[in-house]
Amino acid sequence: MSQDKTTTTATPKTTGHNWDGIEEYTNPLPTWWIWGFYITFIFTVVYWLFYPAWPIGDKFTKGIPGLHTITYKATTVDGKEVEKTTHWNMRSKFMHEMNEMEGVQKQWFDKVAAMSFEDVSKDAELMQFVNSAGKTLFSDNCAPCHQAGGQGKIGFSPNLTDDHWQFGGTHDEIQQTIVHGRKGFMPAFKEVLNEQQITQLANYVLSLSGEPHDNAFATAGAQLFKSEDAGCYYCHGADAKGNTQMGSANLTDKIWLWADVPAKSTQESKLAEVKRVITGGLDRGVMPAWGGRLKPEQIKLLTVYVHDSLGGGK
Amino acid sequence: MATASVTTAGVGTSEQYNYDIVRKFAIMTLVWGAIGMFVGVYIASELAFPFLNFDSAYITFGRLRPVHTSGVIFGFGGSALFATSYYVVQRTCQARLFGGERLANFTFWGWQTAVALSALGYMFGYTQAREYAEMVWPIDLLILVVWVAYLGIFVGTLMKRKQPHIYVANWFYLAFILATALLHIFNNLQVPVKLFSLESYSLFSGTQDAMTQWWYGHNAVGFFLTAAFLGMMYYFVPKQAGRPVYSYRLSILHFWAIIFLYMWAGAHHLHWTALPDWTGTLAATFSIMLLLPSWGGMINGIMTLSGAWDKLRTDPVIRFLIVALSFYGMSTFEGPMMSLKDVNALSHYTDWTVGHVHSGALGWVAMITFGSMYHMVPRIWNTEMYSLRLINVHFWLATTGVLLYIVAMWISGIMQGLMWRAFDDFGNLQYSFVESVAAAHPFYVMRALGGAFFLTGMIIMCYNMYKTIRQGSTEAHAGLNVATA
Repeated sequence: MSQDKTTTTATPKTTGHNWDGIEEYTNPLPTWWIWGFYITFIFTVVYWLFYPAWPIGDKFTKGIPGLHTITYKATTVDGKEVEKTTHWNMRSKFMHEMNEMEGVQKQWFDKVAAMSFEDVSKDAELMQFVNSAGKTLFSDNCAPCHQAGGQGKIGFSPNLTDDHWQFGGTHDEIQQTIVHGRKGFMPAFKEVLNEQQITQLANYVLSLSGEPHDNAFATAGAQLFKSEDAGCYYCHGADAKGNTQMGSANLTDKIWLWADVPAKSTQESKLAEVKRVITGGLDRGVMPAWGGRLKPEQIKLLTVYVHDSLGGGK
Repeated sequence: MATASVTTAGVGTSEQYNYDIVRKFAIMTLVWGAIGMFVGVYIASELAFPFLNFDSAYITFGRLRPVHTSGVIFGFGGSALFATSYYVVQRTCQARLFGGERLANFTFWGWQTAVALSALGYMFGYTQAREYAEMVWPIDLLILVVWVAYLGIFVGTLMKRKQPHIYVANWFYLAFILATALLHIFNNLQVPVKLFSLESYSLFSGTQDAMTQWWYGHNAVGFFLTAAFLGMMYYFVPKQAGRPVYSYRLSILHFWAIIFLYMWAGAHHLHWTALPDWTGTLAATFSIMLLLPSWGGMINGIMTLSGAWDKLRTDPVIRFLIVALSFYGMSTFEGPMMSLKDVNALSHYTDWTVGHVHSGALGWVAMITFGSMYHMVPRIWNTEMYSLRLINVHFWLATTGVLLYIVAMWISGIMQGLMWRAFDDFGNLQYSFVESVAAAHPFYVMRALGGAFFLTGMIIMCYNMYKTIRQGSTEAHAGLNVATA
């Protein structure tokens, strides 16, 4: 072993070992270190007295009885309200915290439940509550599709802030939409109509919203729209204004959901968008039902929020 | 003896020690470091600017994230551990590696194949979805064989040592090899869906599966990323400082305390889940008891420098090693705090956890590796570092990078925790989840920037190493003899 020249012969003793020039001092353990270590033992034992800690068979120690308890209210399976006090555990802590906040919320939710939609929307104080609870409920449940402010996304989800309501914009209709969900559907016309007919229809649809179009095709398309050959009027109506009972779109209101016409700049590309929808149809306009996921009073509140706060169908 | 090895460096088998294998792993440490950290910066940028997904499934966060973690932990960290453990065990035992060139080379090619295949597999969607153990079962088996060979080489070399005692660095390396074998085997017990299918079912289910996974996950941190790198520290700090280790007694005590206590602590990753409360309590308290044993390594490292503090001013390699120990001390304090139930209620599921991991991974693991590599690489290529100034630049880039990273994650993590639990006067949640996402955005940008600093330092290191290695090879060919030991 070559002796490392930098090794000092300093005051602390070394163990006498030497590995590749490395030696070790025999310094004692730092006092603060060893005391720190002991303190963590004490902390540990105290912690065990406060929380469930050691398994014994299929049970476990629950800390010193009465030292660290949680009281919460719960409803039993047979519908009885009970108050329980238990040793500290995650579930009780969760229940306790939920009790606390639900207690604060309850008076407000009770008012919403007892009043008519119209009365709620006229009560300024209650609307503060609706907006506070609605914002979070909407963001956590609705915004993933309808976007943060309810503005929707063309080709994906309807805009809730405009004046058009696919399935109706009254409080009752909105509530029904939330509870039961909705499914939009339009059949594909590629087997029924030929290329030229689809082009005519698409020009007609563009003409309804004042988009650039070919007049001759649009006139032919108007005839086709009301004919038995295409049968568009069955769902969209003879005036092309749609039908909220079945969720068929109003084609005259310049509001686009499935064909992204506003994003296209040329006449050809706008036409291609509309033709794409007519050719392939639609089967993805699905909104899930929230009836089983949210409580009735939450849905009622969301209805008011969507109707009155997002600025939709007055 | 050390000088005898120097004169014949570069001549392969005629060396006293097998340095060839050390060189191979050292080069791959740099390669994986650059790749793994680049992917890390990329996915951090994806979180800040989602358009970077470019609508391609192969490069989404979900697929690239395990590429990043495997690349830096197993590619960069693993190669660094193979390189340094082979170097340290030979030099401190004064014995050439047991098992000959072939077995050592097998561990090299086997390990590199395993890491490369798993990284590619993740991009194509092949994963068993166990964090830090995403490799599909055939790769698990390959790792197992490589690992047994590694254990054989390491123990065999210890047994033929010419020293009466085993040096402390080797205790840590051996503990790491044994524990990793144990963790790897039990966490990967699974049944393939079909004989020729890459998919498999875990032997455990539900909470027990989660518990096994985090027993693995936490001890991978404890033994792979802590104990092993302490082994690295115990050789390279006293060696670079030219000072004896501060306290032999402390090294024994904190070694055994870490070995005993770490295995209990994994369940603290599963606070506020379906895991029974008592399990989490035990994990929390064992984590608290781990604080001082962890600090034992920091004290022994930092105090080794006592009497030579001036080297911090003059030697950038020492600076890397000491700053690494400081980050180690900080994150081993932060960890036990976060393991307490009430602190965890705030920190769990937030970016705070991500920041904590990176203060350990960047601040401790990567920094101690950088320092050790800057010590070792010139010695195994029998030359000197090409540029001390570039080491210094690397040091400041790395330190700034870590600080930006962890400060960003502290702020965004604590902010998330507070936003998620905030109620208004009506008893309503004050914020929706997406508002907390929007609020985190500036800090995601800051984190990506911190990562970019760190990556830039890593690339500068690669350049510096490349020049050093070229210089070493040229000198060897010219028959020059530069004494370095």
